[in-house]
Amino acid sequence: MVRYIINRLIALLITLFIIISIAFCVVRLMPGSVYEMGGDLSQTVIDALNAKYHFNEPIIKQYGYYLENIFFHWDWGNSAKIRPNVPVFEILRDRIPITLEINLISLFGAIPIGMVAGILAAIKKNTIVDHIISFMVVVFISIPSFIFATCLQYFFGFKTGSFPIIYDVSATGTARYASMVLPILALAFDPIARVARYLRAELAETMNSEFMLLAKTKGLTYAQSTVRHGLRNSMVPLANIIIPMFANVLGGSLVVETIFSIPGMGGLMVDSINSSDHMLTVAILVFYSLISLITILIVDLSYGIIDPRVRMGGKK
Amino acid sequence: MTLYEDNKELYDSIPAEKFKRVERDEAIHDAKFQTKPICFLKDVWLRFTKNKASVCAAIVILIIAVLAIFGPGMNRFKYDEQYPDRVNMPPKIPAIANLNLGIFDGGYVLKNRQYDSISDTTKYPNDCIINVTNPQVVNGVRMVDVEVDYYKYLGISDDECYWFGSDYLGRDIWTRLWRGARMSLIIAVVSVACNVVIGLLYGSIAGYYGGTVDMILMRITEILNAFPRIVIVTLFVMVAGTGMFSIIMALIIKDWVPTARMIRSQFYRFKGSEYVLAARTLGVRDMALIFRHILPNSMGPIITSSMIAVPTAIFAESFLAYIGLGLQAPETSIGVMLSQGQKVLLHYPTQVVFPAIVISLLMISFNLFGNGLRDAFDPTLRGAE
Repeated sequence: MVRYIINRLIALLITLFIIISIAFCVVRLMPGSVYEMGGDLSQTVIDALNAKYHFNEPIIKQYGYYLENIFFHWDWGNSAKIRPNVPVFEILRDRIPITLEINLISLFGAIPIGMVAGILAAIKKNTIVDHIISFMVVVFISIPSFIFATCLQYFFGFKTGSFPIIYDVSATGTARYASMVLPILALAFDPIARVARYLRAELAETMNSEFMLLAKTKGLTYAQSTVRHGLRNSMVPLANIIIPMFANVLGGSLVVETIFSIPGMGGLMVDSINSSDHMLTVAILVFYSLISLITILIVDLSYGIIDPRVRMGGKK
Repeated sequence: MTLYEDNKELYDSIPAEKFKRVERDEAIHDAKFQTKPICFLKDVWLRFTKNKASVCAAIVILIIAVLAIFGPGMNRFKYDEQYPDRVNMPPKIPAIANLNLGIFDGGYVLKNRQYDSISDTTKYPNDCIINVTNPQVVNGVRMVDVEVDYYKYLGISDDECYWFGSDYLGRDIWTRLWRGARMSLIIAVVSVACNVVIGLLYGSIAGYYGGTVDMILMRITEILNAFPRIVIVTLFVMVAGTGMFSIIMALIIKDWVPTARMIRSQFYRFKGSEYVLAARTLGVRDMALIFRHILPNSMGPIITSSMIAVPTAIFAESFLAYIGLGLQAPETSIGVMLSQGQKVLLHYPTQVVFPAIVISLLMISFNLFGNGLRDAFDPTLRGAE
C-alpha cells in the first residue's frame, strides 16, 4: 500500500512537471512581450524590465530560471498586469480560499439533498414521484451551471431583490454568506442531480438483491430493511463519484465566479488570459492541474479504503 | 405393463370415429412465418419510438437544426450588419404583437417620466404608449413609468422589426442566434465525429491485438487522461488562436480517450466468441474481422456515447466563450451570445433569454435522445444510469 502510494505520488509529480513545462512554453511562445502591450512605458523602461525578468534571453534559459526560482525560492514570478509586481503566489493565496469555500459548500450541501431525492425516487420507483425526480435530474444535469447562474441572478438578485446581485467583497458575517447563496445554488444543481441519479440506480438494484429478501424473510419491516441493509450497501460506491465531482464543480465555478464577480480563481483565470498576464496564467493552470491530479489520486486510493476487496497495486 | 393395458376399459369406451390415422406418406413441416422477420435496426426503431420523451427530443433537435440551417436567411438582416442607431432594440413580431399578449410587442419601459407630458405627441409619437404604471409624486411632480412600443417610439416601420431584438451594435439577434446555433452544432458534431473515428481506430487496435500493443496504447491514454481537460483546452486555444478550427481541435485532443476505452472493452467482450473463432478459422483477415465482424456489434454503444458527447462539446464551446476564448467577432456562437448578453443582463434580459433557451433545449434534448437510444440499443440497461 505504501509502495503504491509512493509510486502514484511520483507519477503525479512527473505529470505536474510536464504540465508546468508545457504551460510555460505555450504561454511564453505566444507572440508579443509582456511589457510591449501596455504602450505607456518608454523603451528604456521596457528594456530594463525585460532584462530584470530575463525576457530578452533564449526560452530555454528563461525556463531554467523559472524552474530554479520555483524549486529553490518558491517564487512563481510576479504578476505583470493584474496586480503589477505582486508575487503570483501571494495573489493565488488571496484568491484560493473563497473559491474553495464556495465549491466545497455547494458540493457538500448538494450531497444530502441529492441523496434524499435519489432514495425517494428509488423506493417510489415507477410512480409519479420517480418520474418527476428523474425528469428534474435530466434537466439539472443538462443545463449548464452558467445558465442557472444567469437565471438566479436575474430573478432572485434583480427582480425580487432577495439576495445581492453580485458578491459583496466588503461584507462580513451573514451579509457575506447571503451574497454567496446564489453562486452556491447555481453550482449545486449539477451535483444534486448526479448524486440523485446514481443513488436511485444503485438503491433500486440493491433492493432486488437476495440479501434484501433474506432481511425481509427474517422479519424486518420495509423501513428497517431499506435503511439498515439497502441504503448502507448503496452508500459504499457513492464516495467514488463525489470526489471526482469536485473537479467538475471547479470547472463550472470558473464561469459562475465571473458572473457573480467573486474575487476567486475563476475570475482571475479569465482576467489573466484576457490581459495576457503570463506568469499568473501559468500558475493558475498549474493550480487547476494540481487539484484535478489530487482528486484522481484520492479516488484511486479511496477504492481500497472504502471497499477492502479492491487490492491496491497488486499484480492480479 | 403398458398405458393401454392399464386403462383398457377407458380407451375401449372411446368410439372408433374419434381416432384419426397419421398418414405416413404426408410430409410434416412447420407452419410458415406469417410475419416478416425484424432486423436489428428495425427492432431498435420500434423500441425507440415507444419512448415518447426521446421522440420529442429528436423532434426538438431536428427543429433547431432546420432553424440553424435556414433561420439566418429568414429575414432581411445579415449576422454582421450593424445599425448604430438601433442598438438594444426589444423583440417585436408584428403578428404576435397584434394579439396583445404582452410578449414580442417591442415594449420597453421608460422609467420616471413626467405624467403631464405623456399626451405630448412630439415626445411620444405615433401613439406608441402601451401601458402606464407606477404613478408616484417626486418633489411635487407626478412621475410614471411609461411602457412604449420602442419601434413606434423611434419611428421604425413594422416590416423592419427585429424578431428577437438587437444587440449592442444593432445586429439582429434572430439571425445571430441561428447562425450561432449553426456554429455551435458544427463545432460539436465535427469534434464528436473526429473523436469517434480516432477512438474507434485506436480502441479496436488496442482491443483486438491485446498484449503488449494494448498495454502501450493504454499507457498513452492514461498519460493523456492525467492532464486536466480545462487546462489542455485553454492552453491549446491560447496557442492556436480563437478560430472554429482550433476550438474543434482543442475538443479532440483528449476527448477521444473515453470512446477508445469503450471500444476496447467491447472488443474484449466479442473477440473470444465462437463466431469470431469460426471466421478466423475460415481465414478472414484481421482488418475484415475488426471492421466487418466485431465492430458492428458495438455500434449501439458507439452511437449512444457520441450522442451524449454532443452536449458536452456544446458546453465546452460556450465555456470557452465565457472565459474570452470564443469565436472572434463578427462570427458568433451560442456561447458568444450568452457571454455578451450576460454583460447587459440587468437592462436587456432578452439578449440572454433566447440563446439560453436554445442551449438548454439542445442540451436536454441530446441527453434525452441519447438515453432513449441507449435503451433502444440495449434494453437490459433500461432505467440504469
